[in-house]
Amino acid sequence: MPRTASTPGDIAFSVRGLTKVYVTGAGEVHALRGVDLDVRRGETLVLLGPSGSGKSTLLNILGGLDRASAGTVTFHGEALTGKTERELTAYRRAFVGFIFQFFNLVPSLTARENVALITEVSRAPMAPEAALGMVGLSDRLDHFPAQLSGGQQQRVAVARAIAKRPEILLCDEPTGSLDSESGVQVLNALVEVAREVGATTMIVSHNAAIGAIADRVIHFRDGAITRIIENPIKRAPGEMRW
Amino acid sequence: MVTLRSLDLKLLRDLLRLKWQVLAIALLIACGVAVTTMAYSAQKALEDAQARFYEVTRFADVFAAARSGPLSRVEDLARIDGVLAVDARISESGLMSVPGLARPAIARVISLPRDEQAALNRIVLIRGRLPDPSRLDEAVALKTFMDAAGVSLGDQLTTVIGGRALTFRIVGAALPAEYVFTPSPESFMPDDAHQGVFWAPRAAVERAAGLGGGFNTVSLDLAAGASVPAVLQAVDRILAPYGGRLSYARKDQVSHAFLTAELRELSIMGAVLPPVFLIVAAALVHLVVGRLVDAEREQIGLLKAFGYGDLEAASPYLRLAGAIGLLGAVGGGLAGGWLGAAVMEQYREYFRFPVLDPAFHWPGFAVASVASVGAALAGSLLAVRRAVRLSPAVAMQPPRPASYRQGLLDRLVPGKTIDQSSRMIVRNLERFPLRAGLTTLGLAASLSLLLGTQFVFGSLDYLIDQAYYRAQRWSDAVGFGEVRASHAISEVLRLPGVFAAEPVRVVGVQIRAKGREARTRLTGLERDAQLQRALDGQGRPIPFQGRGVILSEALAARLGTVPGDRVSLDIVDGRAPSTDLPVTALAEDYSGYAAYMALDELNRLMADGDRVSGAQLLVKPDARAGFYRAIERIPLIVAATSRDDTVANWRKVMIEALRVSLTFYVGFAAAIAFGVAYNTSRIALSERARDLATLRVLGFERRECAYILLGEVLLLAIVAIPLGLLGGYGLARSLVAAFSREELRLPLILTPGSYAVSLTAYLAAVGLAALLVGRRVWALDLVAVLKTRE
Repeated sequence: MPRTASTPGDIAFSVRGLTKVYVTGAGEVHALRGVDLDVRRGETLVLLGPSGSGKSTLLNILGGLDRASAGTVTFHGEALTGKTERELTAYRRAFVGFIFQFFNLVPSLTARENVALITEVSRAPMAPEAALGMVGLSDRLDHFPAQLSGGQQQRVAVARAIAKRPEILLCDEPTGSLDSESGVQVLNALVEVAREVGATTMIVSHNAAIGAIADRVIHFRDGAITRIIENPIKRAPGEMRW
Repeated sequence: MVTLRSLDLKLLRDLLRLKWQVLAIALLIACGVAVTTMAYSAQKALEDAQARFYEVTRFADVFAAARSGPLSRVEDLARIDGVLAVDARISESGLMSVPGLARPAIARVISLPRDEQAALNRIVLIRGRLPDPSRLDEAVALKTFMDAAGVSLGDQLTTVIGGRALTFRIVGAALPAEYVFTPSPESFMPDDAHQGVFWAPRAAVERAAGLGGGFNTVSLDLAAGASVPAVLQAVDRILAPYGGRLSYARKDQVSHAFLTAELRELSIMGAVLPPVFLIVAAALVHLVVGRLVDAEREQIGLLKAFGYGDLEAASPYLRLAGAIGLLGAVGGGLAGGWLGAAVMEQYREYFRFPVLDPAFHWPGFAVASVASVGAALAGSLLAVRRAVRLSPAVAMQPPRPASYRQGLLDRLVPGKTIDQSSRMIVRNLERFPLRAGLTTLGLAASLSLLLGTQFVFGSLDYLIDQAYYRAQRWSDAVGFGEVRASHAISEVLRLPGVFAAEPVRVVGVQIRAKGREARTRLTGLERDAQLQRALDGQGRPIPFQGRGVILSEALAARLGTVPGDRVSLDIVDGRAPSTDLPVTALAEDYSGYAAYMALDELNRLMADGDRVSGAQLLVKPDARAGFYRAIERIPLIVAATSRDDTVANWRKVMIEALRVSLTFYVGFAAAIAFGVAYNTSRIALSERARDLATLRVLGFERRECAYILLGEVLLLAIVAIPLGLLGGYGLARSLVAAFSREELRLPLILTPGSYAVSLTAYLAAVGLAALLVGRRVWALDLVAVLKTRE
């Protein structure tokens, strides 16, 4: 898969007729009902919608964590659907950075080591110190997660995600467990480093205000995209309050 | 009631959810309880059978022998203070040709009393009938001999006693209390086919032995509380003029002594091993329940917030531990009962009681069960205390990330020399040192148990090599009925197939030094003897010096003597006066209490001329059949031993006996290794499942995650190896000491094979546990971690 050919307007993901059905004891749950979407390389998308609307399911399938029941997803023209477990792991390892709602740092490793954990298995990573510097944590390199605030922990997670210079940055409620001030700091860091490494960024959120930082805002309801809004003017996270 | 039920439900669900961990711990407890139950049940069964048999046969308290005592002195013996009954008999031995056996059997013929009901050491008839007292050609035979030698009722057998052939027809098969365990004199192992014992009417034995109106063995029944030493002294005084040999008490009777030693070993086994299992189980309960309390702190807080008391909220964890203990105790009781019965099958091969029924030792089981439940509860106490002390408010807050710090290893291992995965392993070990320590100790204990019990095979091989190929180098040995002039050797040399013969004189002695004493055999050897030598620790022959005696190390240890000391010697056979002799050297001799002396000096001591009591021979292997046929016809020879037969018998009996118990030890030890490794890994998984799933999301492969998860326990398993080997060596040392008997001292030899077997079983058990837990890395739910906090 190409990593560098960055013609503006390139399509990173092409999603067609994507359907996900969970079979549970109570019957079938349609998490996605035939979603079509093209994600352009380098753009920032915010996926909004109530719980269970399908936004996280889409993120999981694009991230190679879940499999579609029907439909196709291509990444730079290559089908993701149908890849083996091992191929999906290799895909995540090479191209995808994740940011979780609850940070998911390894408690036994310092900030620097949490980042190094990923750079050690990446092909052309930046130095952990540089990644942490980009999120404003140069003075917290040797702190353990327990010694950091929630916002600081999430910024370590951002550094961890971008240190391998991922092509795709997937963020599931990155500010969901933070107060607004910390949330803004995290989004600031996120937007800046994503631009720096040229990552295509997809942010899942409940928070409509976050839509302001996106190139496009995708609205979900009942497993389908209800509308897509293009932002003519992206705002910086610092200009937001919620 | 409702509250009780829902907590009960929680207990049940916890048990089900943690079933494999619970079962792994319960298995360890069951092993401990099973060993105790089995050992005490077997002991009880043997003791019951022994008590019944001794009572029925009126097994004597004191035994003595003389060359020939007149029956008139029996009255004197009966008048000794404390003596209730006296039984005087004639007992003679000779060689006997048995159809189907290459080597002649040793036949001991014992006279039957006139009144069998009043007699001591009566026999219990198993088949057939007693001989007709009026007939001289009927006898009852030892049942075990008949079974092993293929002798049936009605068969006719001939032995030569004192030059006279004695032929009788076997009319009955019997078991006596004196031969519950029948070791052959050379190997201390039963050799049933070659050990014939016969009971014939007195007239027949009298005639063969030429002892009309006399006796040569006597046994006495004592009143409860009678002074045994005083009786022994009185008996010796009365029998001295008649060639009396020193009398001895029941505790020194061969069969009884072996049985006593076995009972003692069962006690050791039942008391020493189980604590190891219980301690390891308690440690595992500590880890498992501790983890459960940590994982469920919100639930505990919730219960307290809803009004449950501190103890109520913590009680499920205490009861979980109790349930594990109980489960193990019940399983162990069942297994122990079954093992106890199984082991009886084996005991029937060695201990010949008319009836040996399995027993169940309820007190042993009860104590073990209480100890098991107690150990499990004790293991849970720290965790339960944590649950009791948990404040509801704290419990309901989300946990902070576990706090770690840079430990000693971080400082030792700078920056980039290890990868972050390995660093995680090291930090976890440093953060939970108690857990790491307990895990290491548990694993080390299992390896110790494996190695500590493997010494037996190596030790036996060494012992056989030392005893039968280095110290003794004869192929065959013969014993004379009485001491003979030394030129008897030239007669033996003329026998077919014999190409070397050396004389030997063996006398029973009582050796005293420093207030301690021991009965043993003093072996007189020629100064330049080649076929039997006393060897030092380096395997070099020790030369005799003047009148000095060489003691086996076991005997020297018993007497507390070192070379240069003097020992005092009473001759048991014959009438030589007591004498003091210097100890000149110690022999590395694993056959227990032994003493050696130059033959010429021994003869000077005995003051009966140039005498020998037997010969040690080299016989051409292809001429052995002719040699055996020849010695059967020579009245002089009453005992014949073959080294090859002895060694083969040794191996057969010992290895059969040990194979079963060693299999159990390997199983027990593997259970410990598995239980510890499995539980530690499962706890690590439950703590780190979220971290590992996160790493999987971030692109780590499964095997990389498995490394982080299992690296810790595998590292501890490796650290435990040197500890375990060291502990195994220590355990082997103490087992050697505990199981060594007077007659059989075991050397401590651990062969490369012992290490290989132990390490293989250990690594297999740890590997299996790692595999079972590692498998779960494959099933981690990657999506769930995105949305859940711990």
